[in-house]
Amino acid sequence: MGRVYAFAKRNVLMAVRNVFFVFELAFWPSVGVLSIGLMTRFLELTPEMTAFLLVGTMALSTIQVCQLDVSYALLFDVWSKSVKHQFLAPMEIRHMAFGSWLVGIGRGLTVFGLQAFLSWWAFDFDFFEPGVLALGAFLLGCFLTSAIVGLLVCALVLLFGTRAEVSAWATVNLVMVFCGIYYPVSILPPPVAAIAAAFPLTYFLDAFRSHYGFASEFSYALVTGFLLSALYVALAHWALAAAVTRCRRTGLLLKLSE
Amino acid sequence: MLAVEVRDLAKTFRSGWFPRRLTRALRGVSLSIPRGVIFGLLGPNGAGKTTLLSILATLLLPDAGEAKVLGHDVVREARAIRPRLNMASGNSSFIWSLRAPEILAFYGRLYGLHGKALARKVDELVALCELEEHRKVPYQELSTGLKQRLALAKSLVNDPELLFLDEPTLGLDPDISVRMRAQIAGLRRERGTTILLTTHYMREAEELCDEIAFIKNGEIPARGTADALKRQIGIGDVIALRLDPASGEGLTELPGVLRCVFQDGRVELTVDSADKRLPEILHWLHEQGIVVRDVDVHEPDLEEVFVELAK
Repeated sequence: MGRVYAFAKRNVLMAVRNVFFVFELAFWPSVGVLSIGLMTRFLELTPEMTAFLLVGTMALSTIQVCQLDVSYALLFDVWSKSVKHQFLAPMEIRHMAFGSWLVGIGRGLTVFGLQAFLSWWAFDFDFFEPGVLALGAFLLGCFLTSAIVGLLVCALVLLFGTRAEVSAWATVNLVMVFCGIYYPVSILPPPVAAIAAAFPLTYFLDAFRSHYGFASEFSYALVTGFLLSALYVALAHWALAAAVTRCRRTGLLLKLSE
Repeated sequence: MLAVEVRDLAKTFRSGWFPRRLTRALRGVSLSIPRGVIFGLLGPNGAGKTTLLSILATLLLPDAGEAKVLGHDVVREARAIRPRLNMASGNSSFIWSLRAPEILAFYGRLYGLHGKALARKVDELVALCELEEHRKVPYQELSTGLKQRLALAKSLVNDPELLFLDEPTLGLDPDISVRMRAQIAGLRRERGTTILLTTHYMREAEELCDEIAFIKNGEIPARGTADALKRQIGIGDVIALRLDPASGEGLTELPGVLRCVFQDGRVELTVDSADKRLPEILHWLHEQGIVVRDVDVHEPDLEEVFVELAK
């Protein structure tokens, strides 16, 4: 656990010293929830439709912030050219991923708290209405999605170098398009909907929105979501491990430290 | 007992797609390093020094050959090796916003330290590398010398049995280099650490290393002690003589004399060994009735060996 704590503490230290992190934590999530909330007012949407959109907004912000922490575990080393020291040490990918993910969960919960408060205060929307268990399952689903995306971003950076760092910000947005951020996946063209069905987040959004009066499009949505998440976490971990091995073979690990 | 054992190690880097460029960094390097020595690896830029070091440090996988570090294979048993070695390089860098004790604590935890043992180790290394006054300064605001001292401190966080130092004094002011070299020598003397050092500075290698290997184009053409290398290269010692009368005919015929040059009334003799040949030469001159007004002996330094080998 000491190695997990090492990564967690480092992410915390970097977070509190970087003004950029404040923007990630407060500015963008506030802008997101306020702009979408105001749009629902302008369009005179029903409370159910408002809930549908705000759930999507909250999911996007929470996942983005949490997955960035997982990605930062590697990206900050890449930016400061210190990657080799990390991989020289007797640590495993799981230490890096789990430690940074824990901090990501903390930051993700902060973003959720902020957005929940703004949604309640400005738009009378209660994220806690479905109950603590349903909300907990949804947030856990979001955090598992963050872990998957974060691990894949790390793998991409180790495969393609700094050219792939943009994926840290782009990937979540792409995933959200497939998973039905502001719409049910049933409106997607059939081939795209089939792809959407492969994303665990699709099921978590579906399950949570069903508490706000929307008929669930999937049976056993939560179970399916968690099973897929477990599979993808394992696959993403394997992909990152393979990327590290390839990086040791090609010499990219050293290039990223020069 | 060997710290490092390398046999026919080869590594080729591939870059670009069309055309595909191949750089053969190591071409069948073989090397063995006993425990408890400071071993120098010298060579021109691009010779393969860092590649070899990186393979031994498990940061890079070789294409062919075998490398054992502390008795373990670097490919198959990397996990067993990593806790027992560490590395510092002249161009090391760490997370910019972290402070020296935080950086040391982070890596200390990765090497399994925690609690009071970790705090003690961090304090010890901060003191050892004279970073006390800079405890609260973010890494990005440290001077080059302090950054390199921190890199050395980080490399000692796990009390490594084997330490790789890649150009540790690169770009440092002379006074700081001297202190850094003293610290490196102290590591071997006080802790028995085996050190594999790459450097461009011949003086550094001559001062620190028990043994030296020259690497060039991914091969090791020469290795040995500094003195042995000088002999091996055969560039010889130079004996400069001022003679009266200024004539040295017959000197070139003497045993051990490799070259003889007359210049400005002086004769410069290149010999295989000044210690051995000088008495013989002086005796011969005395027999010839030639008076020796002045004698100067110059032994080649490692830099000359380096230049010769790098040709």
